[in-house]
Formats: sequence, C-alpha cells, structure tokens
Amino acid sequence: MALVDFFTECPDIRYIMYGGKGGLGKTTFSAATAYYLAKKGFKVLIFSVDPQASLSDIFARKIFGQGEVEIMPNLYACEVDADKRIKAYGDEIRKKIMDMYGFETMPEEIENYMKAASAEPAMEESAIFDAVVDIVTKGGYDYYIYDLVPLGHALYYLSMTSVYDAWINKISALRYEMGKYDKVVATVQSKKETAEDKILEELLYIKERINASSRILTDPKLTAFFFVLTPEEMIILDTAKAAELFAKFNVPIRGFIVNRVIPKKLASENIPQYLRNRIQMQEGLLARIDSQFGSKVMGCVPELDRDVRGLEMIEKMAKEMFGKR
Amino acid sequence: MQEKKEKKEKLGDIAKEFIYGMAAHDMTRYALKTRSSMEHLFILITMGDLLGVPILPPYYSLRLLPYVVPQISTWKRRMLREKDLTDALF
Repeated sequence: MALVDFFTECPDIRYIMYGGKGGLGKTTFSAATAYYLAKKGFKVLIFSVDPQASLSDIFARKIFGQGEVEIMPNLYACEVDADKRIKAYGDEIRKKIMDMYGFETMPEEIENYMKAASAEPAMEESAIFDAVVDIVTKGGYDYYIYDLVPLGHALYYLSMTSVYDAWINKISALRYEMGKYDKVVATVQSKKETAEDKILEELLYIKERINASSRILTDPKLTAFFFVLTPEEMIILDTAKAAELFAKFNVPIRGFIVNRVIPKKLASENIPQYLRNRIQMQEGLLARIDSQFGSKVMGCVPELDRDVRGLEMIEKMAKEMFGKR
Repeated sequence: MQEKKEKKEKLGDIAKEFIYGMAAHDMTRYALKTRSSMEHLFILITMGDLLGVPILPPYYSLRLLPYVVPQISTWKRRMLREKDLTDALF
C-alpha cells in the first residue's frame, strides 16, 4: 500500500509515529505528513518530547516550551519542556504537603528526597511519559503525529508503557488488599465506616492514565508506526533488528519508508563516476529492502536538492511522499 | 430511673469491651500488624528511593508522597533497624 492511500483506507488512525535511527528523516517525514493532513482539512498536532527536539528547527520557529503553537491553519506543533514540567509538578506536590499538614517549610528529609528524585534521569522519562498521556488523552485533534526520539530510546519509551502498566497494577492490588484489613478491623471494633483511602484513589487515577496510554499506543486501529530507513547496509540491518524488537512490544508497525534515494533518472545524464557508483550501490540495496520488507515498503522518497526546513520545503517533501495530488 | 438506665448502659459497655478483649482484640491486633507491614511494603515499593532503592516511575510516586509524609520516619526506622529476638515475640 502506498502511503497516500493509507490515510484514506484507514480513516480510524489517529496517532502516527515515525521511528528510525537518528538523522534519517523522522522529523522531516513527521512534518511533511502533518502538512499533508492539515492541507486536507484535518486538525493535526505534531509533538515532540525530545529535549533536543527539532520541530523548532524544521518549522524555523520557536516552539520549545511554548505550548501548542499554530504553524498554519489546522497545523499545530508542540515541544514539551520536561524540565519546566518537573519543576512545576514538584512545586505543586510541595504545596500540597504543606497545606495538608500545615507546615511553614518543607521537612528537610522530604525536601531532600524530592530534590534527589527530581534529579534522576528516570524522573525526566516518567515526566515525559505523563506529558504524552496528557497530549493524547486531551483530544481536540484529528491526528496526532509523534516525532519520536531515535530507535533505542523510542523502544525504551514504548516498553516503559508495559513496565509501568505492570507496576501500577501490582501496587494498586496491594493497596486494595490493605483496604480489606482496614475493613476487618473496623468490623471487629464495630466502627461504622473506614476512612476513604486517598492513596488508592490516587493510584486508580495513575492507573487510568498509564493504561489509557498503553491502550492507545498498541492499538493497531488507532496507531500507525512507520520505520524510516535509507538505502545503506548498516541501516537496513539495524532497522530489521529494531522491527523485530518493536513487534515484541506490540508496536503496530504499518510500514517502511525509504528516504534519501538518489533519483535514478540522473544516471542517464552526464554525471561524475562518484555519483554513478552511489546510484548503483543504492539500486542493489533497494532491491534488498524490497526482498526483506516486501509489501510493507510504503514508499521511496528521493534525496531533495536542499535541506528540508521551513514550510516551503516541507510542502515539497509532502508532495514527494504523498504524490502530486 | 434515668440513673438506673445509665448504669445499665455502662454495664453493657463494660461487658462488651470485656468480650471484645477476650475474643476479638487479638484478631484486631493481628490484622493491624499485618496492615502495618503492608503499609511499609507499600511505601517501600513507591518511595524506595528514600532508602536508595530505585523506583520505576518517580513522577507518579511523587503524587503519593503527600499521603505518606507522617509515616515516613517510622517506616525508615523499621526498614533500617537491626532485627533481634524480640521481633519474633511481638
């Protein structure tokens, strides 16, 4: 299936992800897809959670930490500032603790813990995770395009969902079990009602968020994941390996898109041997991609004559990806 | 008349507490003890970082922190103290 037919044939898809090694064109493809869908009249949000996000670069505008920025009619972009989010969240927790217990200042032990927890890399990851849950569950857009981080990290992110899922299910079960003991004590001492368990309430809230996100990201009806690759030997090998791993985590892989293909028609022109060799090499590798990924290859995009930056070039890229319709 | 009724009620309460003490107090104590062990286990798997045990999504466990603030010092003491013979007795 060609990429252009994909969106008409699968109208239920709402979440689109491009994955691949660094620098192969994930952001470019994401932006071009967003542009194409927005031009067709759909309301599209393209977002990134990478601290070194490149949406600001490709749209040539400051987007980082600015919320949802309108790029053109129907097309919105958002780069989450994880640090800012963690800070605001920490302050919220501090305020809650001080309000709950009437503290003037934070107890030292708790403050130290919070500082240590906020500095951990895992904090940033889980904060990003939560930011994405926010974005995808809030609604208001026809399409969400997730500009992913490079392969290893993306896999980590996607697998996190199932790990968090297991974690939250276990601890809510434990908490529920604890509630039973409270009830036993209350019955034996013939007290009327047990106090409501605030922690269980919070856990159920967290659980709902984590489960919602894992539901969405692994649902092949809602989510489509595309691999971006280029005709280079190492990249093909790595992509095949990654595809296997991703499949294990139930990532709904819908296809592969080849980027940076040198236009074949150049071969008939008067070109240097250097370029001729590259074209020949790519031909061999393209044949290999075809035999390896077969019908899942959804398109070959040529190497453009300039870097893709700014709406004008994004439009050009969209035309290459989705045909000149 | 009023006095008599009060006395009766008081007697009833005493009897109730006596029976509770004989029959159910141990059960309650046991339930509470199990409950508190579970509470400590729960704090460990949500706030383990406090003792240096890394916990998975710190962003989410922070949400629970306000509710366990009062328990944290007893929990730490219990987790870090040395065990001896009296643990088996109580």
